[in-house]
Amino acid sequence: MQFRYTLEVLTIIAIVVFCALFLYTSSTMGDAEFAGSDTVGSGLVAELSGTSEDEILPLIPQWAPPSGEIESCLFALQAAVGGILVGGVFGYWMGQKKKA
Amino acid sequence: MHIMEGFLPWQWCLVWWIIALPCLIYGFYQLKKVLAADREALPLLGVTGGFIFILSSLKLPSVTGSCSHPTGTGLSAISFGPWITSVICAIVLLFQSLFLAHGGLSVLGANIVSMGIVGPLAGYTVYRLLRDTSVNMYLTVFLATALADMFTYVTTSLELALAYPAETGGIISSFVLFMGIFAITQIPLAIVEGVVLALVFKYIITLKPDILIRLRIFSEEKINAARSDL
Repeated sequence: MQFRYTLEVLTIIAIVVFCALFLYTSSTMGDAEFAGSDTVGSGLVAELSGTSEDEILPLIPQWAPPSGEIESCLFALQAAVGGILVGGVFGYWMGQKKKA
Repeated sequence: MHIMEGFLPWQWCLVWWIIALPCLIYGFYQLKKVLAADREALPLLGVTGGFIFILSSLKLPSVTGSCSHPTGTGLSAISFGPWITSVICAIVLLFQSLFLAHGGLSVLGANIVSMGIVGPLAGYTVYRLLRDTSVNMYLTVFLATALADMFTYVTTSLELALAYPAETGGIISSFVLFMGIFAITQIPLAIVEGVVLALVFKYIITLKPDILIRLRIFSEEKINAARSDL
């Protein structure tokens, strides 16, 4: 019988290697803050344009989540919507397949 | 990949909006056409869009010591092309700029161009080039999704470099600087995203191969070959 889980194994290896890389960088790079690359990029913009980051004001006023908790709540909400869509459709397909 | 609100001069905001809008309108038109032609395309749209929602909310740490998020646009680009994908991305990016202060309304055009148009277009091109060759289908999906992810960040770097050329070396040297931040961070994420979405594609094939054949995403021979492959 043929081995049918090659892709699953590859995925697990990729994720494990990814986690190992993270543990390695976080233990060896003392100054790693793991800030978002958006934030790091914004820092470079400030450097290149010669203005400090606080002086760069939004062109269109915007609401910002007042704390990290609220931000992560909204991000979790976004992922949950995606999860419901994916799970729902896979379930729907499974039902269709069973019926057929 | 978000450019933050206020971090692009208004002239550039306008340029990227002018590029993004026709693509979005064409995407809407295409979306209506695809759904009118085949209602069974809707669940597939749900799955591929769902992965954009999930993956673009995950900020993962990378080797450069900063975090970034995958885009998840590859599956949708393969299944529905870059224009419909740009509509889904616009929804996600609008949510993030209104409620999360990630990106903003003025830079939304630029962010749609990078995540919703250029990235998926790159992925779609790879898929079209490899679709009718003997290359394994999962490898095609892997390459298309990984490159859609990478090119999103390359585009962000370019958008910022065009707006902020360095004093010495101009656009090219600031492009290299921005690539150092965005693209290098993204390499491991793009690889993992490619592998994960190839696996997801395997499950789509197991459950609903007929929709892929009906929408002419992959040929029946290719799907049968892939099913016996892995």
